[in-house]
Amino acid sequence: MPVKHLKYTWLLPAFLLMMAACKDDKYALPTAKNGLHNDCIKRTLGPNLVGQPIEFAYAMAILPGQGKIVSAQVEASIAGAPQTWLQNNSFYTNGSGDDVGIPVGDPSVNEGAVTKVNFTKDTSAATLRYYYYIPEAARGKTVRFTFNAKSSNGETVSYAMGPYTISKMDMKLDIPVKDAANCFISIADLTAYNSTDAAASPDKIDLVYLYRSIPNISFNHSLVSPGADKQYLPGVSLPPNANRSTKISKVWNLQDFNLARLKYGVYIDDLDFEKLNISNAPNYAINMKEEAGAWVETADGKYRAYIFMNKVNNGSKSAVISIKRYTLK
Amino acid sequence: MQKYFSIAGLLLLAAFTWIACTKENPVDEDGLLITTRAECYVSNFELLGTDFQTVLTGTPQIDTTACTIKAKVFFGTDLTNLYPQFSLVTDAKLDPKITGKVNFSDLDHPKQYTVISGNRQVRKTYTVYITVQQP
Repeated sequence: MPVKHLKYTWLLPAFLLMMAACKDDKYALPTAKNGLHNDCIKRTLGPNLVGQPIEFAYAMAILPGQGKIVSAQVEASIAGAPQTWLQNNSFYTNGSGDDVGIPVGDPSVNEGAVTKVNFTKDTSAATLRYYYYIPEAARGKTVRFTFNAKSSNGETVSYAMGPYTISKMDMKLDIPVKDAANCFISIADLTAYNSTDAAASPDKIDLVYLYRSIPNISFNHSLVSPGADKQYLPGVSLPPNANRSTKISKVWNLQDFNLARLKYGVYIDDLDFEKLNISNAPNYAINMKEEAGAWVETADGKYRAYIFMNKVNNGSKSAVISIKRYTLK
Repeated sequence: MQKYFSIAGLLLLAAFTWIACTKENPVDEDGLLITTRAECYVSNFELLGTDFQTVLTGTPQIDTTACTIKAKVFFGTDLTNLYPQFSLVTDAKLDPKITGKVNFSDLDHPKQYTVISGNRQVRKTYTVYITVQQP
């Protein structure tokens, strides 16, 4: 055999190796690890607002032959609000994609910053949901969580989550406003007053909601500060001494998830308010549509806010608004 | 054999040198291509509010002879914070450039924008007249 042919013989094993390398390995069921294990995910997205929950899913498991789970608990670095709880159901997802809960223990008990569930069923694997309701004490601070599980064989595991920054801002949802009724909006109080209540505290009235159907122009649903030019407050009788000039800048396509509760995964956070500059904005916003919004800064410079128009109704001359508010001073 | 390689190498070198010495297409001070087009006009005009929605009540009147743009905006439009948008003929550019919000509130002194043709030889200054819808 000529030598020049011999020098190509190395190609044959190379091809064989390549073929062997491309074969798929046969699937084998994974072997469960020994001992008690745990894992945790945070399910809530967006800013952490005081009064709202942060939801976690805490999973724990042990091989059935090695013991069962006897308890699970969560310790927060700042005690949660009284509504805080650890669900005593373990969930599985059924064929329709729905989460179905199975009770595995007693209802949770809060002891200071610790929330605990004692298991009452023989359980070797469970995923419990934890809802930490953010207390006022946590505003502007960071919170950490330590999840713990204990098994009947004396093993314990823990999982640390956080730190999570709690927003400084406030939120008020679904404030009904109506033309010539509860139309005087106070950012300081996050509410809409009628003329009687507004007269009692005119210095707190930042905006007036009004609806007008005026020929040749598009006025419709509007938010106008008491100090605005009278042409933007047609037929409005203001409470005496209500004269604040609030800066307001219209926004479209900013359906904050917390306020709108729609499909859009957009969140307004503290940073948005901190960076906001509407210093040369007008003191009125005419022709606001449903799902529109407006950035607002109060005349005293104390608050910045985002007002979202959840619903508008031309017939009843009313709207439903939701507000996120950030305190500057 | 080596002689042929040398000749081929020299030919390649000459070709690269020739390409490198070819004059590039001219560009202006903004790095934009200067072309042969002498057309110079605004084909469309738009005004957006802070919510990036149009504030125009209808199609603006663009007079390419008088070089004027007449636009009517909704009642209550905040004239101090508007984003103008010009559509220009191919290869033309605008001076001054629009880099953000523009204040159109001084209705007695309408804003002026100059359109510069693709060959950068023709300049036409358009005046934007804004009127506000009234009840």
